[in-house]
Amino acid sequence: MSFDWWTLGLQTVNVLVLLWILSHFLFRPVSEIIAQRQAAATDELSHARAARAEAEAALVEAQARDAAVAARRGELLFGAQTEAESAKRQMLEEARKEVAKLRTEAQAEAQRRHAEAQRALQNEAADLAVDIAGRLLERLPKATRTAGFIDGLAQAVAELPEQTRDGLASEAPVPVRAAQELSAEETALLKSRLAGVLGREIELTVTADPSLIAGLELDAPHAVVRNHFRADLDRIRQELLRHD
Amino acid sequence: MDSPLTLDPLFHLGPVPITEPVLVTWAILLLLALGTWLATRRLSLTPGKLQTVLELLVTTIDAQVRDTMQRDPARFRALIGTIFLFVLVANWSSLVPGVEPPTARLETDAALALIVFAATVWYGIAAQGLRGYLATFAEPSWVMIPLNLVEQITRTFSLIVRLFGNVMSGVFIIAIVLSLAGLLVPIPLMALDLLTGAVQAYIFAVLATVFIGAAVGEQTPANSVSSAAKETRP
Repeated sequence: MSFDWWTLGLQTVNVLVLLWILSHFLFRPVSEIIAQRQAAATDELSHARAARAEAEAALVEAQARDAAVAARRGELLFGAQTEAESAKRQMLEEARKEVAKLRTEAQAEAQRRHAEAQRALQNEAADLAVDIAGRLLERLPKATRTAGFIDGLAQAVAELPEQTRDGLASEAPVPVRAAQELSAEETALLKSRLAGVLGREIELTVTADPSLIAGLELDAPHAVVRNHFRADLDRIRQELLRHD
Repeated sequence: MDSPLTLDPLFHLGPVPITEPVLVTWAILLLLALGTWLATRRLSLTPGKLQTVLELLVTTIDAQVRDTMQRDPARFRALIGTIFLFVLVANWSSLVPGVEPPTARLETDAALALIVFAATVWYGIAAQGLRGYLATFAEPSWVMIPLNLVEQITRTFSLIVRLFGNVMSGVFIIAIVLSLAGLLVPIPLMALDLLTGAVQAYIFAVLATVFIGAAVGEQTPANSVSSAAKETRP
């Protein structure tokens, strides 16, 4: 057995050289690149964590904003609803008032129209009645249309106040309207009756007026005395209208 | 066949005799230097296949050192890694026809064991100081000092003899079988020799780690926290 100390020394040196070579060319660069990758990964991870934290914060903020918007929307909706209900109530109230007003006005208008129509009908009925009466009276004999009314006219003059009667007597001539031309007898009869009532003779101016139908009318400046059917029919018509 | 215990120089460089193990070691050294230089020229953060293999090798060595020593592996990575790679490549160099592995010679194994011994002392003193390192020989009692001193020598010798015996025997058996049975018969034995070589490289590196770890002692709590933080960092 032999042991070569030179070989021992050379191999020791060789291994030490190899140690330096591998350290320089293998272990150091590879470990450095691993460390760099780990650092890069850590950096990326920290960036990712930061980005995630930012995203979560943004999410929370967005959720808060959404909640605020929803709350505001709810408030606005509630306000709008309340306002709409108030406006609805107000409009309904106004409409109700308007309807009541219109109804009242319509009722008043209807009543007015009804009254007008009724008045018109009454007028028409009265006119018709008067017209019928007039036509019926026209069938009376002409002699009866004036002669029968002379006494009545004298009676009406007699019922006048004394002062008025005196005024009539002092006026000359007194206009008289008759339903037809008076005959001389009728005129003389009328004068005599009036003279009997007034206490003296008066002058008369007799004119014919068929619208009186039958009867006489004394038209003095201070007094009018009517005794004819037209006046009676007018009075009856007025009475009818007043009672209706 | 020559005796595995005798070594004849191939040539002389001046007074220095150059033997076959030295020559093969130079070849291995050149191969590893060239290979690692080529492989690590263009490292990037997105590794290719070769870079992935290299990173796997480095991280595996780091993990082994960290698990064994419970320390940051950066200071010990180059030594343990170099020992492992050199022993592995040296053991597997027997596959090259006509090449005898340098580790089949006592001088190479002794050189490796001496380096481990020196590293053990160096790291021990660096970690605990001279007084602290020497105090470890009196643990658990001063009565143990002679035994601890003897242990330093015997475990170094055990390193030498274990590696030498395993590799030399493999080479010797293959040579005997080859001389007796011809060309293809030694192939299973050579495959077994590959496994033995890898296992021996691993054992030598792990034992070196254990010895150095025992010399540097327990990790301080502050360093433990730092190391743990580094380990859990993504």
